[in-house]
Amino acid sequence: MLPPMEITLDALRQVSRLAGFEWDDAELEALRPLVARSLDLLARLDAVDLGETEPTTQYRVL
Amino acid sequence: MAELCWTPAADLARMIAEKEVSPVEVVRAHLDRVAALDGKLRAFITVCAEPALEAARAAEARVLAGDPLGPLHGVPYGPKDLYATKGIRTTGGSTILGDFVPEADATVVARLAAAGMIVLGKLNMHEFAYGPEGLNGHYGDVWNPWDAGTHRVAGGSSSGSGAAVAAGVCPAALGSDTGGSIRIPASLSGITGIKPTYGRVSRAGVLPLAWSMDHCGPMARTARDCALLLGAMAGYDPADASTSVLPVPDYAAALTGDVKGLRVGVLRAHFTDVAAPEVRQAVEAAAKALEQAGATLDEVNLDDVALVPAASFAIVAAEALAYHAPWLRTRSGDYQPDVRERLRAGVVVSAAHYLRAQALRARVRAAVDRALARRDVLLAPATPIAAPALGQQEARLGDGPSDVRSALIRFTRPFNFTGHPAVSLPCGFTPAGLPVGLQLVGRPFDEAMVLRAADAYQRLTDWHTRRPPVA
Repeated sequence: MLPPMEITLDALRQVSRLAGFEWDDAELEALRPLVARSLDLLARLDAVDLGETEPTTQYRVL
Repeated sequence: MAELCWTPAADLARMIAEKEVSPVEVVRAHLDRVAALDGKLRAFITVCAEPALEAARAAEARVLAGDPLGPLHGVPYGPKDLYATKGIRTTGGSTILGDFVPEADATVVARLAAAGMIVLGKLNMHEFAYGPEGLNGHYGDVWNPWDAGTHRVAGGSSSGSGAAVAAGVCPAALGSDTGGSIRIPASLSGITGIKPTYGRVSRAGVLPLAWSMDHCGPMARTARDCALLLGAMAGYDPADASTSVLPVPDYAAALTGDVKGLRVGVLRAHFTDVAAPEVRQAVEAAAKALEQAGATLDEVNLDDVALVPAASFAIVAAEALAYHAPWLRTRSGDYQPDVRERLRAGVVVSAAHYLRAQALRARVRAAVDRALARRDVLLAPATPIAAPALGQQEARLGDGPSDVRSALIRFTRPFNFTGHPAVSLPCGFTPAGLPVGLQLVGRPFDEAMVLRAADAYQRLTDWHTRRPPVA
């Protein structure tokens, strides 16, 4: 398991701007704990060996 | 009159068709109950008293005229307030859509109207369905009717649906389920709710949370009522490209009451083994009851299921942000704080994360299919805990402490991820008098088997007939 990832206010500001959002420092600061937990989840996803498995969407629609 | 409010939808439909009771009496009895209880329950966002009575009078006229009647003719119900209802505001539990009045019904609302059902009102929910507690800062937090003294959550996001059915305010309701939002309130509120297979029921006209995880389904006090509603709702819809053209079976006819030879796999690791002790005890007793009725039990574990929270987060956060981005840019202050934060956190999900999550979906889906290859249903608790108190942050599970939100969705979300049908039904009570939910999961498009097992269990037990103290 990768250690929990820290994210700085500046990094979060850059990420949110790339996504088209402009949030002030107070809003970014409020978001940091949830973002830290989210990054931890994503790190677990990154660590999975998916082999040749292709992405799918939902159930085989008949 | 009060007993009408505890009569199952199937029996109400029969009584109306046989002229034992008028749809006007039935609707009026339920409206009286809304007036008496909803100040505390906060289950409704909008009550449609006059339109419901008008529809009931029209329904009565059809009965008296000897017209052909739908299978649920004259029976009232409540859609969660994210189903579009023509001429009735549809808020999604938000003030952003506080004045939104759709010009057409959602497909399933139109189908239930064709079956004869009457909309009593629109039911409360977690704002935009983004939370398993069912909290709503705009229209009030729903009160779980199983505790008169302590404000406990009814479970979400379809919290109004859970509380209204549990308290006898509605005989049936519609919920939607992205991570457990039908089954969690069914579990915490002591009722029955089924999330059908992805593609079985149209999502057209339903506000989305995450397109590839959203499922629409019925909630009621019995599996039989769920079967009747599902039969009326299900089937191909040209307005929803994800719906299946598979024929819809007669779900009510599948309810034989017989579980002899039913092969039940008890989900152990990640599921039953980590539930709170009182939940585990009730669920294991339910498995034994099925065994004593002729089912065969074995134990099963699902590969990769521990990775579902990570993959589901990537999918739901990305899809929800994509839908909400325009409002999040212009009206972010109008979201309740927890929903706004969850939506904003979606900015850290990359396209690569999203696609890795979708690849993992294929693997977990295959694992569930393998588990069901030699079994008819899988069995687990619906939630690892009973209803938490409003504001409770942490719960203790069998494998340690967990935040309440993660705990509530832990056992249900895997089957949103895989699309398999799953029902929650009451299977006991904690020493504090709170209901415990049993979850049964079936093969894709085999809702009939899931409902058959649920109905058979309800013929063996009376948990689903208990009435909560607030009612």
